[in-house]
Amino acid sequence: MSSQPAERTRRPIDRRFPRLAKRLDGYVGAWNHVGTQTKFYGKTLRSIPYVFRYYRIELMRIIAQMGLGTGALVVIGGTVAIVGFLTVTTGALVAVQGYTDFSEIGVEALTGFASAFFNVRLIAPATTAIALAATIGAGATAQLGAMRINEEIDALEVMGIRSVAYLASTRVMAGLIVVIPLYCVGVLASFWAAKFGTTVIYGQSTGVYDHYFRTFLNPTDLVWSFVQSIAMAVVIMLIHTYYGFSASGGPAGVGEAVGRAVRTSLIVAAFVVMMISLAVYGQSGNFNLAG
Amino acid sequence: MVASDVLAKPVRAVGGFYAMALDTLVAIFRPPFAWREFITQAWFVARVSIVPTLMLTIPYTVLLTFTFNILLREFGAADFSGTGAALGTVRQIGPIVTVLVVAGAGATAMCADLGARTIREELDALRVMGVDPIQALVVPRVLAATLVSLALSATVILVGLAGAYFFCVYIQHVSPGAFAAGLTLIIGALDVTIALIKAALFGLSAGLIACYKGISVGGGPAGVGNAVNETVVFTFMALFAINVVATAVAVRVTM
Repeated sequence: MSSQPAERTRRPIDRRFPRLAKRLDGYVGAWNHVGTQTKFYGKTLRSIPYVFRYYRIELMRIIAQMGLGTGALVVIGGTVAIVGFLTVTTGALVAVQGYTDFSEIGVEALTGFASAFFNVRLIAPATTAIALAATIGAGATAQLGAMRINEEIDALEVMGIRSVAYLASTRVMAGLIVVIPLYCVGVLASFWAAKFGTTVIYGQSTGVYDHYFRTFLNPTDLVWSFVQSIAMAVVIMLIHTYYGFSASGGPAGVGEAVGRAVRTSLIVAAFVVMMISLAVYGQSGNFNLAG
Repeated sequence: MVASDVLAKPVRAVGGFYAMALDTLVAIFRPPFAWREFITQAWFVARVSIVPTLMLTIPYTVLLTFTFNILLREFGAADFSGTGAALGTVRQIGPIVTVLVVAGAGATAMCADLGARTIREELDALRVMGVDPIQALVVPRVLAATLVSLALSATVILVGLAGAYFFCVYIQHVSPGAFAAGLTLIIGALDVTIALIKAALFGLSAGLIACYKGISVGGGPAGVGNAVNETVVFTFMALFAINVVATAVAVRVTM
């Protein structure tokens, strides 16, 4: 991922309109950046077969690492605990907000329905995406960025190891595999939090809650929300590995790369959730209140 | 030895965080106030956050309005989509997107910047020169994060409502008058005030966490990377927890 050449030949436009030339170069640079990024993603995805042929042990190691988290994150219970915690807090919002809003118009019995509807379609996928970007995504950028700064990636290349396959593709594959159990934890945690808040804290009867919850829990929606989260995991890991690979500028550069990667992946994940939702549920809504 | 280290480290980190938070609280009221740093930092945080704010608000509002409208249309109440949009944007999307932006964009950038200074031993140099880094660097940053978070929350609500309007009126064919009339049906000034208070709390906590992680960085490039990573995780966890508690309190207040 070498950056732009250090010195350019001076063109006539540089002398006549130096500011305009600088601005144009900025646009061209940004455009080229999109190209480099796309090329990297293509290369990462193309190298996935190599992962299964040559780097299976590294893949297993990274899966274990992602499930548990690295550094100080292990102490607070690793990735699973963080995903669980975040989805519990957003699931609890269903109880806190949904129950009170519904009880204003006297239909608080429908809180179970709100949990089955909003948790599956909106809250669980979006929260899991955020948690993934913050934990395994930012962790991957930090690791790869530090390796890039310490010239470990160049050393890998010198030793004849395909660095993109060994470092980036393994992480994308690991993210794809790890997200499945993590998303299960996320969905269950959000269901549990909504139920706990509604029945234990606000005191609705469990039977009423369960009845409306079971009636409106649509298995097809659940499958689609799984597809959403898997797509998000791949996109998030691709973005984070790219920013790790292209980190530059010493220790400060690694920190900046992590920040930029988190910003980008949050935005892209939001768009992925929106696009898939619009594509899947479409105009019809795939929903029928009357049963 | 190893076991006690594993246990002592998080406890020490929590203690260090509280100590720094208290130092910051005291230093806020001690003159001189670092005005220049405050303005620079506020501009810096606003600059890195404004694009993510716009880009995150639009998809989340569209998603929420879309999901909500499916429901409303099923009830035969599509004209109330304005109410749904206002409810979602002011009460939930506004605070949550503010959390995402403040934690994901503002805090990470702040922690990376401060961490880089720590690694370059600039903070030690300040201490040698007799300048208190808490007063010179942390206080303006924390206050800047609070101020910008407040401003961002207002931006999120405005952009969210505008986005919902376009989506409902031009794509889902709700009548514009009904949309506008429904806006203030449930949501009033009190809710907006609560949303702003929440945002200020988010900014304050995110700023404190980012500054603590930034000034306690150690261990070269990997250290800075990990510090930023931990900042994201911890701010998300703290802010989501604050959001639930603040929402529950707000519900009690508005009832």
